[in-house]
Amino acid sequence: MWGPDTGPPRHEYNNMTFEQQILQYLITGVTVGSIYALIGMGFNIIYNATEIINFAQGEFVMLGGLLTVSGMQLLHLPVPFAAILAIIGVSIVGIALDRAAIRPLKDASPITLIIITIGASIFIRGVASLIWGKEPYLIPAFSGEEPIPFFGAVIQPQSLWVMGVALIVVLSLRQFFGRTLTGKAMLATAVQPRAAKLVGIDASYMVLLSFALSGAVGAAAGIVIGPISMVQYDMGVMLGLKGFCAAIIGGIGHPWGVVFGGITLGIVESLGAGLISSGYKDAIAFVILLLMLFFRPQGVLGKSKGDRV
Amino acid sequence: MNPVLKTEGLTKHFGGVKALDQLDLTVRQGAIQSIIGPNGAGKTTLFNVISNVIPPTVGEVFFNGENITRMQTHTIAAMGLTRTFQNLRLFSEMTVLENVMVGMHLRSKGGFFTSALKLPWVFREEQRIRGESREWLRFVGLHDHTDQIAGSLPFGNQKSLELARALASKPKLLMLDEPAAGLNMRETQDMVQLISQIRDLDITVLLVEHDMDLVMEVSDHVVVLDQGRKIAEGDPETVRKDEVVLKAYLGEE
Amino acid sequence: MRALSIMRTPYSGFVLFSILLLLLPFTVANDYYFNVLIIIGINSIIVIGLDLLVGYTGQISLGHAAFYGLGAYITGILSARWAWPPIAGLLVALVIVGILAFLIGIPTLKLHGHYLAMATLGLGIIVFILFQELNFLTGGPSGLVGIAPMSLFGFTFDSDLSYYYLVCVFLLATLLLSINVVRSRVGRALRAIHGSEIAASVLGVNVSRFKVGIFVLSTLYAVTAGWLYAHYIAFLSPSSFGFMFSIKLITMVVIGSLGSLWGAIFGAALLTSLPEFLVVFEHYETSVFGLILILVMIFMPRGLLRGLEDLVRKLISMLRKDLKERSLTS
Repeated sequence: MWGPDTGPPRHEYNNMTFEQQILQYLITGVTVGSIYALIGMGFNIIYNATEIINFAQGEFVMLGGLLTVSGMQLLHLPVPFAAILAIIGVSIVGIALDRAAIRPLKDASPITLIIITIGASIFIRGVASLIWGKEPYLIPAFSGEEPIPFFGAVIQPQSLWVMGVALIVVLSLRQFFGRTLTGKAMLATAVQPRAAKLVGIDASYMVLLSFALSGAVGAAAGIVIGPISMVQYDMGVMLGLKGFCAAIIGGIGHPWGVVFGGITLGIVESLGAGLISSGYKDAIAFVILLLMLFFRPQGVLGKSKGDRV
Repeated sequence: MNPVLKTEGLTKHFGGVKALDQLDLTVRQGAIQSIIGPNGAGKTTLFNVISNVIPPTVGEVFFNGENITRMQTHTIAAMGLTRTFQNLRLFSEMTVLENVMVGMHLRSKGGFFTSALKLPWVFREEQRIRGESREWLRFVGLHDHTDQIAGSLPFGNQKSLELARALASKPKLLMLDEPAAGLNMRETQDMVQLISQIRDLDITVLLVEHDMDLVMEVSDHVVVLDQGRKIAEGDPETVRKDEVVLKAYLGEE
Repeated sequence: MRALSIMRTPYSGFVLFSILLLLLPFTVANDYYFNVLIIIGINSIIVIGLDLLVGYTGQISLGHAAFYGLGAYITGILSARWAWPPIAGLLVALVIVGILAFLIGIPTLKLHGHYLAMATLGLGIIVFILFQELNFLTGGPSGLVGIAPMSLFGFTFDSDLSYYYLVCVFLLATLLLSINVVRSRVGRALRAIHGSEIAASVLGVNVSRFKVGIFVLSTLYAVTAGWLYAHYIAFLSPSSFGFMFSIKLITMVVIGSLGSLWGAIFGAALLTSLPEFLVVFEHYETSVFGLILILVMIFMPRGLLRGLEDLVRKLISMLRKDLKERSLTS
């Protein structure tokens, strides 16, 4: 199954001490975890506005990566421009998803909404396989591939990009939701839809905006991991689910929770794969997910919901 | 006579709001007892806490002498305590008859395997359930609507259906949450009739209601709540003249 | 329309359906179509069980492929590694998965909506990874071979025709049991839970017990289907039991019509044979599948079978009106 690997080639681990190996796993874990956190944030944005779990979130990630590849190969754009174009493109896909599939279904049951976003994800994946085929593509690293030594372990420059982008995204989202009028209106729509309507907030516009924003965040995730792992039409399935796990672990809807959840998940996976067995790596995320759902469904950082009937 | 229901120091906080505050309440066997009070007095919360749909913050609930505070809702129902809901909770996709048949759940036994195999006794039990459910529909005057989808009934009929469904479980204590809310004058009169008839079925009634006329007409005993506390109780006449009560109500308007 | 309303009274519908299944082979010319029919029958068994859980009780599962896979692998491993007879494989699989589903079901079915969806999805993926990684038992990604053909009580089902009838017997048995369950105290309790858990519990329905009960029953159906599959295909690979197949199963339920057993069979038949039709589209298959899902959900959220029924009803009432107007004018 798919999984990014940011560490040095396997044989190099043999030259490290145990402590250095652990450090290396931690670095890998934080990098991968940042990606999970980014994807989880995309889930959060839509969930906050609509209480819908968007099963097509992983497809936003895939599209972000593949559109960047096309921007570079077909339009011969440098990475930053191709990336911006891809982010805009995926936002438009997000808007289209809302208009075509979510909006026609007012007051639908959760089951219907789950099915429809799953249908959308299958559809997008199918279209992507028609456009880009089934082979993997590589985005060149943003700033070289010379590993940076770090206490006996190494950090790939791209890892710093991943962590940096995740940090910037989470900080700007915080600013957006906390400081700007639009951001506050989006939160208000989610918490008090009726009150929001009374004060003149256009709820359907806010939902649209959340899909666009979520598409942009998802695309960013797909772009920054491009150089670390290949981008491919079906990469979104696992990544999307892992992002959701990150959101649940941290507490869905909680902005710092998802960062915490993503990085915890990344580290546990990386340590598990390195020290126990790489075959079970993907199972780890879901075992944690189940334990969380069974014992603390509100997440580590989330508050429990009120029990008024 | 022994109380059917008794609460001791029942308290429920929602965040900083005290919906119920140290409430001691007694319901006598065979009576029709009403709970009144201005909006937000904690009446519906009281029902939710008694049936343990939500747990109390502090306090105990006793039903026929047994402590039911921490029992699950369905266990409490099995002991003979059921209720209706202010905002109706019908099984709206099922037929009128099927709704009442669910009401007979506790009084029948068919399980997964016996039902799957449709053993002869299950077949007979099913006929008994069906027959008796029709009787309950006749009791509330819905016998002409048996095969209609419950959600498609007019509001007044839905209220009667919820009552029939609760009665079908033959409870010892029936809690009615605003049975007349949303009904017109005529329908309210029918409801008054029904409630008085329930007493003859050997079912104790505890009811929360806004409609003062209805309360005064059917109740043997009235308890007045304000901000989660009991401020007065007694027979309808006494309560009607109580000054504290008048103040609580006038204060609200 | 007439035919549809006959299907409404379950037992006459059941008899008609049995006759249909009995006669169907005489219209099938080619072995390949037998293969499709058998797979439709097997999928129908899973989907009927899933419909009891999802359509009737309102509890979603995005991991049912795992239980199907467990049924297949348990009997497959017992048969291939230790030459156990199929009937023993079925019994062992039913007992193991039944206990497992019971234990997992208790915490899982406390969850609602999206949380329940993700928990069952996670379960499905964990089991899938076990199929892949427990090499010494399952053969891993390269698959499990050497599963004996189906034989019961001395009779070996080695022709497509005999296997078809075997699957039919199991399908009809599952269907009959399910019709009985649905039209009983249990079925009413399940639908009551779907309608309002609080109202159901106030009437004495032990909500968690019934939810776990129907979950276990639906996994047992899946196990039976997996058992039929394993001894038919004689080769198991984890990819048949992955996340996508769970999605396909739930799609069959939803498209067929939630809370209708006939809809479940209809959905299973349609989606199992759809790829055969979509061969015309070749590369477009996945996207067309996704598109159909979206369109059905938007335009016929009650499912295709009910959607068609509504459509027919509308047409008839339009025709009637038309006739009336004509008779008035003449």
